[in-house]
Order: sequence, then C-alpha cells, then structure tokens
Amino acid sequence: MTQRLFAPLTLLLVMIFLIGPFFIIVAASFSAGETLAFPPEGFSLKWISKVFIVESFRQSFAVSMFLAIGGTLSALLLGIPASYAMSRYKLPLSETVRFMVSAPIIVPGIIVGLALLRYFVIPIGLSITLALFVAHTALVLPYAVRVVSASLANLRSDMEEAAVLLGSSRLGAFFRVVLPNIRGGILAAFILGFVTSFNQVPVSLFLSGPGVRTLPIDMLGYMEIVFDPSVAALSSLLAFLSIGIVFAAERFLGFSRYV
Amino acid sequence: MFQNRAEALALALPAAIFAALVFIVPVLLLLSEGFKVAEQWTLSAFVDFFSQPLNRTVFLRTLKLGAMVTLVAAVIGYATAYAIVSLPAGAKGRMIGLVVLPLMISPVARTYAWIVILGRTGIVNQALMAIGLTDEPIRILFTETAVFIGLLQLFLPLMVISLISALENLPRDAVPAARVLGANWFQVFWKVILPLTREGLVVGGTLVFTGSMTAYITPAILGGSKVLMLETLLYQQVTVANNFVSASVIAFILIIMSVAANILLKRIATARNRT
Repeated sequence: MTQRLFAPLTLLLVMIFLIGPFFIIVAASFSAGETLAFPPEGFSLKWISKVFIVESFRQSFAVSMFLAIGGTLSALLLGIPASYAMSRYKLPLSETVRFMVSAPIIVPGIIVGLALLRYFVIPIGLSITLALFVAHTALVLPYAVRVVSASLANLRSDMEEAAVLLGSSRLGAFFRVVLPNIRGGILAAFILGFVTSFNQVPVSLFLSGPGVRTLPIDMLGYMEIVFDPSVAALSSLLAFLSIGIVFAAERFLGFSRYV
Repeated sequence: MFQNRAEALALALPAAIFAALVFIVPVLLLLSEGFKVAEQWTLSAFVDFFSQPLNRTVFLRTLKLGAMVTLVAAVIGYATAYAIVSLPAGAKGRMIGLVVLPLMISPVARTYAWIVILGRTGIVNQALMAIGLTDEPIRILFTETAVFIGLLQLFLPLMVISLISALENLPRDAVPAARVLGANWFQVFWKVILPLTREGLVVGGTLVFTGSMTAYITPAILGGSKVLMLETLLYQQVTVANNFVSASVIAFILIIMSVAANILLKRIATARNRT
C-alpha cells in the first residue's frame, strides 16, 4: 500500500523540482512590479514587451540567430561529406578522422573558447563575429557528424552502388539517391545543432567582445546589473521557442529517433 | 564500399583540417602552457597552483559538489526511474517527455529561475518567515547549497534517462520474484536492481559528475565569486588576474576528467554491443 503512494508522490516532487522553476519564471515575467518577485505583483505585459525594445537584446538575438543558423549549416557542409567518406569509403585513418571531428564535444566549452582565442583568433587577427562563427561551427560539428553518420548507417549502401552500376555518376548518385534518403537525419542534425549553438555559453565567453555578444552572454551581463523581470521574460520566451522547435521536430520528424 | 582513396580524402579532409586548426592544435598549445615556465618543461606550475589555499579549496569544492550531486541524483534517479518504468505505456512516454523537456531549455533561463526562488525575497525565504523559522531572510544565494540545487536540477534528467533505459532491460519478473521469496525492499534494491542496472548507473553517474564538474553557468549565477568552482576560477584567472599558466593548469585538470569519463563511457558502450 505504501508503495502505491510512494511512486506517484516521488514523481510529483521530482517534476515540481524539474519543471516548477520554469513556471515561476513564466509567472514572474508577467509581473507589474519593478523587481523580480514571486508571486508576481499584479499582471502586465510590460516586461515581455521590454524584451523587444532593449537594443542590446535585439542585437545579441540577431548574433545568436546568425551563429546558430550559419554555424550549423557550415558544420553540416563539413560534416556530411566527412560522414559519407567514413561510412562508404575505405578511408585511411578513418578512426583518427572520426576522433578529430568529434573531439570538441569532449572538451569543456570554456577551454575550447580560450584556446581558440589565444591560438587561432589572435594570431590570425579574426574579427569577433568570425571568431564566434568558427567556434560555433566547431561546436556543432560533432553533433552533425554523429547524427548524419547514424542516418547513413541505416541506409543500405547497395542502393547507391546500383545507381552507379546503372550509369549514374558517383556525385549524381549521392544527390539523387543518398541525400533524399537522409533528409530527415540532416534536418534532425540541424535542429540539434541550432538548439545547442543557441543555448551555448562557455564557448562564447572569451570570444564575445564589445558590441558583439551572443544572447545568453548578454543575459548574463544584464542580470548582474539590473534586477528587473525582463531577463525572466526573455528566459520564458526562449524556453517556449526551444520547446516549440523540439515539439514540432518530434511531431513531424520523429526527432528522438535520430538523437 | 567504394575503394577510391583520393575521393575519400577529399571528402573527409576539410572537416578534419578544420577541426585540427580551430580545435585540436589550439587546445594542445593551451595545455602545453601549463607545463612550461620560461621555455622549460616543468611541473612547477602544478605545484604552484596547488600550493595556494584558494585553489585547493576550489578544486576540492568542485570535486565535492560533483560527487554530492551525483550521489543525490542517483538516489532520486532510481526512485523516479522505477516509478516511471512501472507506469502504463502512454503515461510513461509523457513522463519521459517531461523529464527531457528541461534539457531543451537554455541553461541560463533554468538557472535564473533559482534566483527568484532562493533570493532574499524569494519563495523559500518568504515561506521560512511565514512559518516563523527565521525573522529575517537567510542567505541561500551565493552559497554552496544554491550551486548544489542548481546543478542537481540541471543534471538530474540525464541520470533519470540513463536509469530508465537500464531498468527497462531488467527482466520483468525479477523484482516480484525476489519479493515473493521474502526479500524486503532494501534487499531487492541491493541484490537485484543494483547489480542488474549497474551499467546505467555508471553511464548516468559519469554524465552527471563530469557535467557538474565542468558547469560554468550555474556556479557563475548561483555561486558568484563567493563560491568559485574550477570553471569560474578559470574565467577569473584569465579576465581578472591575467594568469594564463594557472588557467592552463585548470584546463588540464578539467580535460583529463572529461576524457577519462568519455573513455569509460565508450568502454561500456562497446562492452554492451559485444554481448
């Protein structure tokens, strides 16, 4: 009997612990008061609308969008051919290549950012935007390779061999046979890369500079100075955005099959 | 399987060269800084680092918080995963969805919520004052407790998911059989569940431990400069003290732990594939 009560009670408490804070920031972002508080004082949309007005949020949102989309696309441009080579060719040093492209996932982001800054960005004289772009590409590359490789492994290779035997060029076989069949995997890799890049903080910590910062870094800086509910409002908007993307991906793509 | 090596290299090299240039070479150079003092290879930077009481405190605190978060996540994780696995299929899927959901939300947003909860005028303090346990707000933010709570919330889902997949492979009759044969719940856990789900526990534990050790956002927001952990100390060494040697020592410690954890995880994965 005690066990019957125990299981639902555990679940309830754990879910409150995991999800509860999320409801609290959503509630706090509708507050009419001037400081962050729960329960919120009154109801207003002023903090939600403030998020769209603050100039630095708009700028850093644009930076983060550019990095998440551009970085993920370039990671896919590098990662798809590499995954294809590793799965379909007798590639010399195949394991080394796999290790190299998936290494950024193992090393903590803050170290990736610092190393990149000191031994790539500064010696070459890269601009802040380009530095962040390169960093986010490197960050997403392991995910791109992993998800695309998994899709390729599930696709039988005799199909493209048949296409080649029937007179298609290798390139034509890739674009007409392979690519349409791993479309779902590529889209899943894109979504995973986008969310990872967009939420990323440590990698961009040292690489962000005056005027060019990613949105999460901007939020970290803002909340140190101002104690109003606008960061809560922004946090809930971002949370809804991520949940929306992942939910749509699961619905239309069966996202969890790929990740 | 195509045989053309030149073609294979042409496809794979751009990614490999990119990774080498922007990642592997810079990280190796950064690490080498910790072993070099005045162009000489030496371990003195490590000796210096650990001779300072603050650094020792931060190192031990990082290990301690990592271990505590892992331990508590394992205890809560087993109870949660067991409760979820026993649910009917539909409810089980929804519950797993709820556990995974926080992983998709920006860690900054998730950690920020704890400021609202644990702050001076936060819910916890309001409740404590309402029931008369304290007359004035107690300090919870910027303590180890706050960092512990934040890390636990951040990484508990990883433990629960690892344990769910381990428990799903548990033979269906194992627990009822042990109960029928007279084992109490403690014995059931210790003699049946734990040995059969050890792999899942190790996988989840490694993810939670390395995640907690290498977290930046949580100690930065909830601990501040009062409760430094290795990552926030590294940030401070670079931005405030301009001490790249000490930063590189910290980087070395963090990387060694991450790599060790990854090797362990890979071992488990390949061992599982073989059986």
